[in-house]
Amino acid sequence: MSIIKISELKKAYGDNIVLKGINLTITAGQIVGYIGPNGAGKSTTIKILCGITPDFKGEVEVMGMDVRKNAMEIKSKIGYIPELAALYDVLTPVEYLKFSGKLYNMNDETIISKTNDLLRLFDLQDKANTRMTAFSKGMKQKVLLISGLIHNPEIIFLDEPLSGLDANAVILVKEILAQLKIAGKTIFYSSHIMDVVEKISDRIIIIDKGEVMADGTFEELQKNEHESSLENIFTSLTGDSAQTHTTANEFVNVLKN
Amino acid sequence: MDKFILKFVLFITKIFLKKEVDFEKLKIIAETKLMLDRRRIRVAMKNSLAKKDPSNQIFATLIVYCVLGLFVSLLIPMVKDIVISMTIIHSYVLFMMAMTLITDFSSVLLDTIDNQIVLPRPVSSKTFFVARLVHILVYLLQFTIAVALFPIILTFVTYGVFVGLASIFTILLTVLFSVFLTYLLYGLILKCSSEQRLKDVISGFQIVMTITFAIDFQIVPRLFDVDKMANFSMPIYWYTYFLPPLWMANLLQSVKTFSADMPHLIMILLAITIPFFTFWAMIKFLAPSFSKKIAALGNAGDETTSEEKNAAKNKIALSEKLSAFVCSNKTERAGFELAWKITCRDKNFKIQFYPSLAYILVFAFVFIFNKSKDYAATWQNLPNTNSFLWFVYLPMFTMSAALSLVAFNENFAASWVYFSRPLQKPGSLISGALKMLIVKFMLPIVLVLFSFAMYVWGYKIIDDFILGVLNNILIFIFLSHITKSYLPFSMQPNVKQQTGKFIQVILQMVIIGILVGLHYLALKIWWLVAALIPLSAVGCYFIFSTIQNYSWQKIAT
Repeated sequence: MSIIKISELKKAYGDNIVLKGINLTITAGQIVGYIGPNGAGKSTTIKILCGITPDFKGEVEVMGMDVRKNAMEIKSKIGYIPELAALYDVLTPVEYLKFSGKLYNMNDETIISKTNDLLRLFDLQDKANTRMTAFSKGMKQKVLLISGLIHNPEIIFLDEPLSGLDANAVILVKEILAQLKIAGKTIFYSSHIMDVVEKISDRIIIIDKGEVMADGTFEELQKNEHESSLENIFTSLTGDSAQTHTTANEFVNVLKN
Repeated sequence: MDKFILKFVLFITKIFLKKEVDFEKLKIIAETKLMLDRRRIRVAMKNSLAKKDPSNQIFATLIVYCVLGLFVSLLIPMVKDIVISMTIIHSYVLFMMAMTLITDFSSVLLDTIDNQIVLPRPVSSKTFFVARLVHILVYLLQFTIAVALFPIILTFVTYGVFVGLASIFTILLTVLFSVFLTYLLYGLILKCSSEQRLKDVISGFQIVMTITFAIDFQIVPRLFDVDKMANFSMPIYWYTYFLPPLWMANLLQSVKTFSADMPHLIMILLAITIPFFTFWAMIKFLAPSFSKKIAALGNAGDETTSEEKNAAKNKIALSEKLSAFVCSNKTERAGFELAWKITCRDKNFKIQFYPSLAYILVFAFVFIFNKSKDYAATWQNLPNTNSFLWFVYLPMFTMSAALSLVAFNENFAASWVYFSRPLQKPGSLISGALKMLIVKFMLPIVLVLFSFAMYVWGYKIIDDFILGVLNNILIFIFLSHITKSYLPFSMQPNVKQQTGKFIQVILQMVIIGILVGLHYLALKIWWLVAALIPLSAVGCYFIFSTIQNYSWQKIAT
């Protein structure tokens, strides 16, 4: 059953064309890794899927609904976790989660009990009522994860969910994503950490300069590109490995001067 | 206070509310935004309140506004002509509200984080729009109350109930107009240039605002020449028709006298229609294009970089030319250039330091005109006094404040770079930064004061200024020497503020006393000034080379 359908998706900011016609169909209950170099159009795609950017060309359906017409409906059934720890950091985690929970129509008691439990599971219970200004990036990321999942969404969109997390937290988040998949959720995330993507994704989509370069399971990509690791597949598709080698060589030579 | 106003505003909105708006979401968004307002550190207040926990910053700001309002409103019973007093009051309200909106509310208007936090959640755009409106309304109301509370009370007391009620109305009209002015300014800047430019302009306004605060408190109470103003009256000139505060004042005059001639009728019409018309025009035409621009801000790439790249390619920066001239080694040059560039660009430094430059003006005014009420006679008599000594030593007050500003910086963590480099004598970084402060700030200030003093006193003060500059430098670097030696921009602000030890303060006072005393003495003995100049120069050289040779043990962290 397809839960996301994208056809001929195009998007430009002024003269800067970000997406040049993306076609994708995502099956429910999968973990999809959406990877690409900086500026490839990852965040833009995710924002369009979440109904944040209604201004695009092409057709996008999420859970059978048009994102332009049913944005409210879609937003209440999905969770979005943005990159760069975008939150109001003068609030405490409890205040922030209460705020974002209420925007999902949740009632206070549910928010409070869930918030307490979730913060405890993320080892943040002693910081629950401290303002987040002094939080590390990883701690803010944990709060963002909770705020995007607290309403138990069907599809979860994550933009660089692992950035700034320490090794233990990365393992925890990976495990949470796996458990969410078992519970039947669909997960669509972007990341730069190739070995994580390689291990947890059911399907990997590589985009570059607004176009899909590769799409399939890790094994399929390996077969098609004749490379063993995702890192190598990625550079062979989005970069020039021979060029990379020469650049590195030249760099070291300049240092010697 | 904001909670109470919010309740009131929400109560009213509930009555007019349409079905598409989700009241619960509206309420939580408005509440959260007001909480953010309360906790945001206000720029104008930064100096005085930075150390405290910003639990209720806005309340402290409102109190300051109230006090300023009280100052200004004292005019109302003192000035006989209602047009004059009301023009001043409405100009004041217009200025304060526009300034507050421009400087403080910009962080709300330009906040693209909203898009990331609220938009992914199921909030309809109508609800979000109304929530923003409610937030702005509550924000405006609390500032309006703070600014206009005393003026309105005194209007009631002085002119009675009718004029009092009318003044509430005219002040609300003025606030409406100030919102329009703010939007117009933002719109213009956004139309002409980039986001970065807009932020620069806003920080410029913030500096103006802080300076105004400083000067208001010091000079305004001294300036009141009530005798003159009390019997003065204001006729209607052609340009009266272009000044909104005058419309309001004339409207109130008509209410007071229960009469209106043709010019007054026109003014009343203008007073009532223009604010509403401009507000309507703003919502209809300005706001939509404005919010589109704002939305684009979050996504736009950097546009300024290419400009800066070109500039960097073509010529050597001024700071680099100067550093070659005044610095004696490479480390010192590095310190000089870094400090020069950061003080040019760091908003926090500018906001904290530039107002203290304005204090020089204030001090000059206060010291010279302190004793007399008769400004003209004091001015006439000025060349016969030794008041120029004030001018010679004024820069000292400001410069000593700059010392800690250069040590403390938001971006303190970047100072790892000093510690990771093989520096034998890190003191050179400090001496470089000190030289920068002298060249970039002290010398220009001295030049301005010198030109003024030349104009008043003539050539005889040249040698005094030479000695004065040297003494200023001597005191400045001596101060740096006896206080803790921090590397430039290496300390976290507000955590460990430099607390001068008592002995150090005494020592500082003694050295200032000796140097200024000697100078004062030298005014009487003709050869002494010339004799002191080389002595002071040697002192400067000696202290500078001591600072340059600080080892790592001497550096405080």
